[in-house]
This record gives sequence, structure tokens and C-alpha cells, in this order.
Amino acid sequence: MSLALELYRSIPRYLAARAIGGRAPGLVAGPLAPIRLVNRRDPEPDRPGWARVRTRLSGICGSDLATLSGKSSFYFSPLVSLPFVPGHEIVGELVDEVDGMDAGTRVVLSPVLGCLARGLDPCAACSAGLTGRCDRVALGHVSPGLQTGYCRDTGGGWGRIFAAHRSQLHPVPDPMEDRVAVLVEPLSCAVHTAMRASVGPEAEVLVVGAGTIGALTILALRELTQAGRVTAVAKHGAQRDLARRLGATDVVEPGEAMNAIRRATGALKLRPERGPSFLLGGADVAIDCVGSKSSLDLSLRATAAGGRVVLSGIPVGGADLTPVWFRELEVAGAYTGGTEQVNGEARSAFDVAIELASAAPLEGLVGAVYPLRDWREAIDHALAAGRLGTLKVAFDPREG
Amino acid sequence: MGAWGDLREVARGWRWGRRTLVPRSALRHTPSRRRGQFPTGWARTPAAKAAREVLLAYGLRPLVRNETAPKIHGLENLDGLEGPVIFVSNHTSHLDASLILTSLPRKWREKTATGAAADYFFDTWWRSVGTALVYNAFPIDRTGRGRGTTDAARMLDEGWNLIVFPEGTRSQDGWVQRFRTGAARLAVQHRVPVVPIAIRGAYAAMPKGRNWPRPGRLPISVRFGRPLQPEEGQDHRSLTRRMFQAVAELFDEDSTTWFEAVARAERGETPAPSGPDGPRWLRAWEASRPLPRRGRRPAWRR
Amino acid sequence: MPRPGFVLEVDERTPPLLVHEGEGFRLQRFPLGSRVVYPPDALPGIKDVGAAIRHALENPVGSEPLSELLKPGMKLTIAVDDISIPLPPMKTPDIRQKVLEQVIEGAARGGVDDVKIVIATALHRRMTADEIKRMVGERVFRSFYPRDLYNFDAEEPGALLEVGTTEEGEVVEISRRAAESDLIVYVNINLVAMDGGHKSVAIGLAGYRSLRHHHNVHTMLHSRSYMDPRPGRSAIHDSATRMGHVLRDNGVKIFTIETTLNGETFPSQFGFLNKREWEWSFKDQAMFLAAKRANDVAPPRLRREVWRRIEAPYGVTGVNAGETEAVHERTLANLYRQQLLEVDGQSDVLVLGVPYVGPYNVNSIMNPILVHCLGLGYLFNMYRNKPLVRRGGVVIMFHPVPWEFHQIHHPSYVDFFEEVLAETTDPKTIESKFEERYATDPWYIHLYRTSHAYHGVHPFYMWYWGAHALDHVEDVIVVGGDPRSCARMGYRTASSFRDALEMAGDTVGTGPSVTYLHVPPLAIAEVR
Repeated sequence: MSLALELYRSIPRYLAARAIGGRAPGLVAGPLAPIRLVNRRDPEPDRPGWARVRTRLSGICGSDLATLSGKSSFYFSPLVSLPFVPGHEIVGELVDEVDGMDAGTRVVLSPVLGCLARGLDPCAACSAGLTGRCDRVALGHVSPGLQTGYCRDTGGGWGRIFAAHRSQLHPVPDPMEDRVAVLVEPLSCAVHTAMRASVGPEAEVLVVGAGTIGALTILALRELTQAGRVTAVAKHGAQRDLARRLGATDVVEPGEAMNAIRRATGALKLRPERGPSFLLGGADVAIDCVGSKSSLDLSLRATAAGGRVVLSGIPVGGADLTPVWFRELEVAGAYTGGTEQVNGEARSAFDVAIELASAAPLEGLVGAVYPLRDWREAIDHALAAGRLGTLKVAFDPREG
Repeated sequence: MGAWGDLREVARGWRWGRRTLVPRSALRHTPSRRRGQFPTGWARTPAAKAAREVLLAYGLRPLVRNETAPKIHGLENLDGLEGPVIFVSNHTSHLDASLILTSLPRKWREKTATGAAADYFFDTWWRSVGTALVYNAFPIDRTGRGRGTTDAARMLDEGWNLIVFPEGTRSQDGWVQRFRTGAARLAVQHRVPVVPIAIRGAYAAMPKGRNWPRPGRLPISVRFGRPLQPEEGQDHRSLTRRMFQAVAELFDEDSTTWFEAVARAERGETPAPSGPDGPRWLRAWEASRPLPRRGRRPAWRR
Repeated sequence: MPRPGFVLEVDERTPPLLVHEGEGFRLQRFPLGSRVVYPPDALPGIKDVGAAIRHALENPVGSEPLSELLKPGMKLTIAVDDISIPLPPMKTPDIRQKVLEQVIEGAARGGVDDVKIVIATALHRRMTADEIKRMVGERVFRSFYPRDLYNFDAEEPGALLEVGTTEEGEVVEISRRAAESDLIVYVNINLVAMDGGHKSVAIGLAGYRSLRHHHNVHTMLHSRSYMDPRPGRSAIHDSATRMGHVLRDNGVKIFTIETTLNGETFPSQFGFLNKREWEWSFKDQAMFLAAKRANDVAPPRLRREVWRRIEAPYGVTGVNAGETEAVHERTLANLYRQQLLEVDGQSDVLVLGVPYVGPYNVNSIMNPILVHCLGLGYLFNMYRNKPLVRRGGVVIMFHPVPWEFHQIHHPSYVDFFEEVLAETTDPKTIESKFEERYATDPWYIHLYRTSHAYHGVHPFYMWYWGAHALDHVEDVIVVGGDPRSCARMGYRTASSFRDALEMAGDTVGTGPSVTYLHVPPLAIAEVR
């Protein structure tokens, strides 16, 4: 029995959060959140290959906040099993030993619950190492759940103990601090995004959003691709400083982004009678790391014909898809890291992420750490993180 | 700047409607907020007492009677008893405190306070206010790091009866768990009698995990036992054992008859209220067995 | 557990901070990255102050117990610090009352008949009867006032005795009555590190001839700072020490009783003034709004009266008695425990919120010269080692600086402002050209002796007190200050903090480093 934050089914809360959560974020972090602190039974891994892990740090991700504010799509409902403990950006230590890893090893978690974890014969995607595309995430001996942190049986990062399969665990090199290790999972997503973007040499890249995902994507683009100019769109001062530090050529505010791309690429800017302006010409690749209606619009409208738009953040706002047809754009989703082709060799996104994290200046990204009991403060802080100069907020369930 | 300007500055600067933050460089020097510290003295003022009496007598009691079918036994044990006393009971449901408070006669009820877990009932201001107002609750720190409770000792001195659940938390499977020694400690230190209470059927009606009783007006039995006086030189551990035994006997009496229960107690054969040995499903099965309904059948069968 | 002082770095999570400005205050947002110096939490006060005093008197350091020093037939002079301390005035009973009562009880028991209580005003104004009664308590007042309890008069012919001269040629001339006594008992409050020690008798009971040796521009320029009385740091204290040694070597026996206070500066109704802003409870925020609104709309006289009546609920953190230097060492230790904290490095800009009361306008009006003294004098010098602002930097102060003078208390100030400052603001020129005249003007002397006026030379001292600051910084900008009075003093004015920072940019460039000294409660910054 140990402490965990549990997301439970509550229709009234969901409806209320969806209706007014945007305008009153204070309520989302308080009475409206369908989340509660409970003493939960610890997951007991009874099959070989499973081990219990004690969470050291677990981050709060934008997708978690979207779930709490009722903005998450119903598409996910068969892919999760309520009540679950959220939290998929985790650095922890093994409680039990498992296949070649001793108890006490510090590990980061690759959260996808693919065929191997579910005790099934690997599907085509899992065989190719692209666990993010597993077709069996709602089957097997584990309850439906696309990842740890959405599954009833495994527990998640926002709890003291959770269960993980050996295929999900990656050891953390000793010199890496917890506060950097907790960023390995989002960094692996950023690595995957950078690869999905198929950035050509000296390409003009637009990264919309400079929160954690955007910032780490800029880092991945710089380290792993031959991108030319990288323009980052960031709303808040602290985000802008970080984007610059991690290698963005140019950092602009959202209102200025279209103009900046126009100037950089010599494109033509047109203004429709309704809706935002767009470019004829523009960036070669646009990566949307936010997922709101306005970021999606910007990404689609600032990309040159034949260009590629990568959706890295879950798109919760609908956008006008006309530019996709007219400019013959390629729209690609980037969900989570698997096996990537990096510089010609096949490597796991996690390994690449661990390598990048060891060298990059990522200290200070985790701006605040809260114990589980202060979850209201943590959620409230995370909802306003950009404005408060914090990039990532994390839980440390080890304290009281 | 004008009054509105000042108001806006304060509202924005201190994040009204949201949580206040501590600047990063000041974190080292700011004591961490201690949860569960909530002043409950106001709940014992005459105005609050009057409000509580109305809430309990005309709000909570009819509600409990409507949603469940409680039967109260053993109130005669309180005759001639001088307060303050400590009521101890097994704990299987959030209904327990409501049942005890609404069963007590008014004379006892208005002088009774309930011990409630600080981390659960006193984590936000609105929950603290509600619990303190309706149940006359005071926070008990059950993490083991704190000092348990200092309010309890003071209130006993002031003549308040206390309701304490020595298990410390609601039972998972409906059976009685190990008793903690806090209640006995208080009784020994302040030389107050302990009145044991056994509540059967609450687990079936509203177990852990439910916030509303199950439909069907399930019967619940609340049985008060003979008060235990702490003997000369008795230490808290032996008093805890006595309390556990007393609750066990009340359970036995409740499920069979008084005569049989006393006989078994004499022989030392009182069945343990901690339930049968066996797999988890069996324990939960036995605990959730509904009590036999006594009295008239309800007109509507569900 | 009282927390130590610390330096806050303003970030996005910092609420606006409280800044005092005369008889008012405001919430001011500071640029990100500004440093704010916070004093340590108030230490707990001694619970049984009477017992502490008794203990100190019976177990002094470096001296016999007071009871053994009080013998029949002796001449005893008790000297007391005047109204310029503490700030705000302490809630009655004042600590001096408690100390006095025990000393006088001792004198009565010891059979001492010739007892005089002198208020060590030096060239400050005479205290009124009401003020004296409030300070010493009703019992002492009734027994001694007015014949045996009086204000020191430095201009009374024959009232001073030249005791000797220091090795630097400084004339040591103090009250004759005190010098010729068998024992001087000095009752002191050490509010800031400048007070106490040899300064008490050598300066508090001295006249102009002595004072001019250290109350001058040269000494002020070489007191870096005068809140740091360690030898070699503060020329004024070195001078006072020399004078004190002359007194000691010439047989003037002094039994010093020094007390220190904690940081409980404001009463609980204004508790938010004592607390760190992010720790303001909802009640504090509401109190702030109510107090600010009331203050803003109140008619000026009512507002002044409300501020005047503020009494600090000070707790006493220490009472020490005995030989002056030994006592003062302990006193300073207590004081630093309450006020000292470390600050890393200087900055380009120093921000000061000048509060409503300084040592020389208790129950009075803070005229522009006193703003200069409090802001560029005392507050600027609340440092050890180096000033908080770098050489050539800028000081930004908050105060309305009204062109307003108290005609009874500060008559010479009016003339100083109109005549002297109109011509020059350079302290050296002022000293050489004007000081002598004001110091010896018979009208001012008459008012000093018979009315309640500060001595004619006093405004000069107020101007010199800021000499080190004027020498050190390049520019002084006052937010919200009256343009005329500020212009007279050579300051610039700005209507908002943002404008002030922009104006400061002329001197220190855009994006300067900013330090805000968040006092009161008082804090001394040890700048590394």
C-alpha cells in the first residue's frame, strides 16, 4: 500500500473542467480535477520480466494537464483503463531485480506498453522496434493502456511504486542527475520527432512552441540533423532564453512568427478575410510542439509547398486543413520514440536521448519539484509554467 | 494608484484563485507547509455548536436513516457515566462517525469531538471547515512523523468526549485490524473511561471506495459496550488489548446473542473480529454479508 | 526558529514588494534578477526583562557590581539616550524606564543623595515634559523632574568641562556635572551598530567644541561605514574611542548599561510590514489594502497623527552592563545576530524606500534635509566592508520629499535649505563657508536652549551624514519626490520606478543590476 495520485472517472468533473477550466485554471488544480491522493495497493508483478520500480522523479507533461482539464480526446478512452496513476516521464530505482539488472539500479522508463510487456507475440511494429506503433496496446494480460501512466495495472510515475517490464527499462549512467534523467523520456520523443521530420541539409525549420517538448526538439534537431536555420516560436521570456541556448537561430513571439519566416525565406504573405495569414513559400519543415488551434494554423500556413508538418504535441484544437491540400503538404504525427535511423545506423531513441542528455545543458529545466501531497500546487504551477519561468514541474514521491 | 489599482496588484501578485508561490531563491528559507494544521477551536464556540446540533439532528440523522437502516444497542451503558470519555470503535466506512454521532443522546453528542486524519480531512480549507463544523473534528497526524495529536489532550482536559478509531484507517476488507495505542495512551494519561463500540454492516453498506451508501437501506448495527475504566498502573498496551477484546465481544454479541457471547468470553473463545483466515476474496465475502433484516419487510422490494 | 536574513533574487514567481515612502508605502514590481536584501526574522525577546537587567547590574563585565559602586555621599549622574532612539518609539514601558528604575532603586538603597538624570541630547533638541515622562515612566518623572531630571544643555555657560585632548589634538569637553561626578551611569539603547560604546558619553554629553572634531566632512568621508565600528573602518568611532580613552585616563568613571532590541518593528495591526511578501496570508493582503486605502485618502494631519502614534512592540534581546568596551562588544554581537547578513557583491543601482521617521523627526516633520540624512546617510551606510552599490552607481529613493519644515523643531534647517543649499550642495564648501556662522548664531542658540529646537549647526551634520554617499555614487533619483525640494538638494526626480531606472541608464546603462534594501526591519549587509 503506498501513496499515489489516481485519476478516476467522474463525468461531472470532466464536463465542468472542459466547460470552465480554460477560464479558471485555479479550479482545475483544485475541486475540478478528477484526481485524488490515495493509498493504493502496490502493483505485484507476478510474471517473469516484470519488476517494481520506486519513483524518484516524475514529470508533469502537457498531455497529463490536457487530461486533467478535460481537453483530451475521447479517442483515447479504449486505450486507457481507469482508474490509473498518471505519470510517464519517470526516473526511478528498481525494487526487485530483473533479467540482468540488480535491485537498486537507477532506471528511466520507456513508457509504451507494447507486445513484449503484454506477453504477446510481437506484432509487425514491435518486431521492427517501433513500439510506438504497437497494434496490441489494448490486449494481453495487462489492462488496456497505451503507456505506463494510463494503465490501471501498472501504476504510474505519480505514485511511489509502479511496475515495469524489462523491455521498458533503461539504466541511467551514474553521473546523470535525477533532474536531467527525468527529461530522457521527453527527449526521446524529441529525437523521434527530429527523425520523423526528415530534415534535409540546410533546411529551414520552424519549431512552434518552446516548452519542454519544443526546447528538446530544437536540441535534437541541432545534434542529429543537418538543419540550417531553426526558428523557434516561444511565448515566454524564460522559454526564449532556453531556445536560444539550445541552438535556435532565431527566437520570436507567436505574433511575429509568420513575419519572421516570411523575411527569412523571402516568401509572399497573404491575408484572407477571415482567419490568420499564410505564406506562399515558407519553411521546409514545421514542427508543432504545442497542439493548439493557433499553433497548428501557424505550422500549416507557414510551410512551403511540398513541405512537411510534424505534429509532436497532441493536436487538441482543430484547424483548417485547406493548406494541406493546396500546398500539397505532408503531415506526419510523431508520437513516441522507438528505433530510429540516426546517421545511417539503427539506434534506440532512448539510447540517443541518454547520450544527448549527458552532454547538453539541461540543468534547470526542471524548475520545481513537489511532493505528492502538494499536488494541487504542482498542477497549478504546471498549468502556468511558461508564465512563471518554469519549464518542467515534477513530482518526487519519496518525501512524505 | 487608486484602490482598484492596488486591488489588481495584490490579486495578480498573490495569484488569487490559484496557489501562492514562493520565489525560487527563497525556497531554502521557507518552512515547508505543514499540512493538517488547522485551528478547530472555532468549531467549539456556542454559535458553531448550535449550528452543528441543527445539522446533526435535522440533516445528518434523517439522511443516515433514509439511506441505511441503523439499529442502536447498548446506550444504557452510558447511564450514570460521567464524562469525559473516549469512544473507540472499529472503522470500516466513512459512515462510522456519522452513525456514532447521530446515535448518541443529545447530552453526549453536544460534548463530543471526533478525531479525523489530518492528511485526509484537513488537506484543503473547505474540507477542514466542513469536517470541523459537522463532526466537531480535530486533526490527528497519522504519518507517524508528527506528534499524533496535541489537541486531544487539551480537549479531554476541557471535558470533551472524543471519538477515536484505533485502527487509524478504514479496513480494506471489513474486518478489524490491529489497534494503535494512541487512544489507550490518552485514556491512561487522563484517567478517562473508554466506551467500546462495534459497528457491523457499515462495510456492506458503504465500504472504502464508495462515498454514498449502497441502495436498499442496508441494516447496520451500532452496539455500545460497557465502559472500560483504566486500572491502577495499567499501561496503554494492556488497555489496548482490553479495548480490542471488548470490541470483539460486542461483535460476537451482535452476531449471535448476548448470553452466548458472555459464555464464550468466559471460556476465552470469542471469535477474533479480525476475520477468518483465508484468501482475500473469502474475507471480503464474509465481511460484506448483509445483516439479517429485523422488523418489517419494506413495502417495496428492491 | 528565527530564520537568517537572505538575499532574494526576483523571478516570475515573486509578488510585488513593499516599499516605504515617507508616511506611506506602495507595492512595487522589481525587474527580474533584482536582488532584495531581507533582514533576519525577529529574534525572540527576553521573557523576564527585569531579571535580565538585575542580572546585568549584579554581574557586569569588567567592573564591580553596581550595588558596590553606589555609596552614600557620592555624586551620581545618570545619562540616558534621548528621543532619537528607538525608531519607531518603543511601546511603553520603554526599556530605559525599566533600567532606570532599577538603577535608581540601587541608588536609593545605596544611600546616594546627589543624583541627577541627564538626557544626553548633545546638540539635539530638548525633549518635552510629555516625551520625557513617556520615556522614563511616571514614577521616575514624578520623583526627579524638573530639577534633577533635565535635558543636557551644551550651550549653558560653564556647563562644560574640558577634560583633556586626544593624541590627534581633539578637545574632549563634556558636561561638567558628569565629568565631576564620582560615577556616570549611562543607559543606552543600541538600535544600530553606530550607537553606544564610547560614543555615548564622549558625544552624547559633549558640546560643539568637541563635536566638530568628528562631526565633519573629512571624518564622514572616512567612515566606511559608520555602521561598522571596527577600528580603522569608521573614523567617527575611532575618534570617539580616543575621546573615551581620554575620559577614562582622566578619572571619569563610567558604568555603561547597553540594551539591544529585536526586529519586531511594527505592531500586529501592520504585521504585513514585518513579513516577507510571499508569506503574506490572505488577512495580511486584506490589511495591506485597507491600510493603503485609508492612508491614501486620509487628510494629511490625520495621516501624520496615525503614523506618529505607531509604537514598536520591540522585544529586548540583551542587557549588558559594566566597562564600556567590554559591554559594547557583547552588545554588537547581539545586534549583528539580529541584523547582519551576507550579500555577494555590489550592484549598479541601490533602491531605498525611505520610511516616515528618522532619529531627528520623532513627533515632528521629515523635511528634505532629513530625507537626505536618512536615505543617503543612515540607510546607505547599512553595510560592512563595501557599500551595496558600486562606486559611480546610482541610488534610487522613494519618498515624497515635501517642502515642509517644523518651525519649532527645525528652525535652522529652514535657513540652511533656503540659503546654504541654494548656493551649493558640496559638503566641503558648505563646511568651510557656512558652518561656523550657524554654529555660533545667538538666535539659534537661544532657541536650542529655551525652545525645542535642534542646534543651529545640526542641519550641517545632517548634510555631512550623506557625504560618503554623495562622494560614492554618481546620481540620486527620487521616485515621487517633489521636484523643487529635490532639485535644491541636487537630486533628480521621476514619477515612476520604471522612469527612474530609465534615467539611471544615463549613468549605468540599460539593464543595470539592482539591489533593494528591504528595511525596516533593520538589516546590515556584509558585502563581499
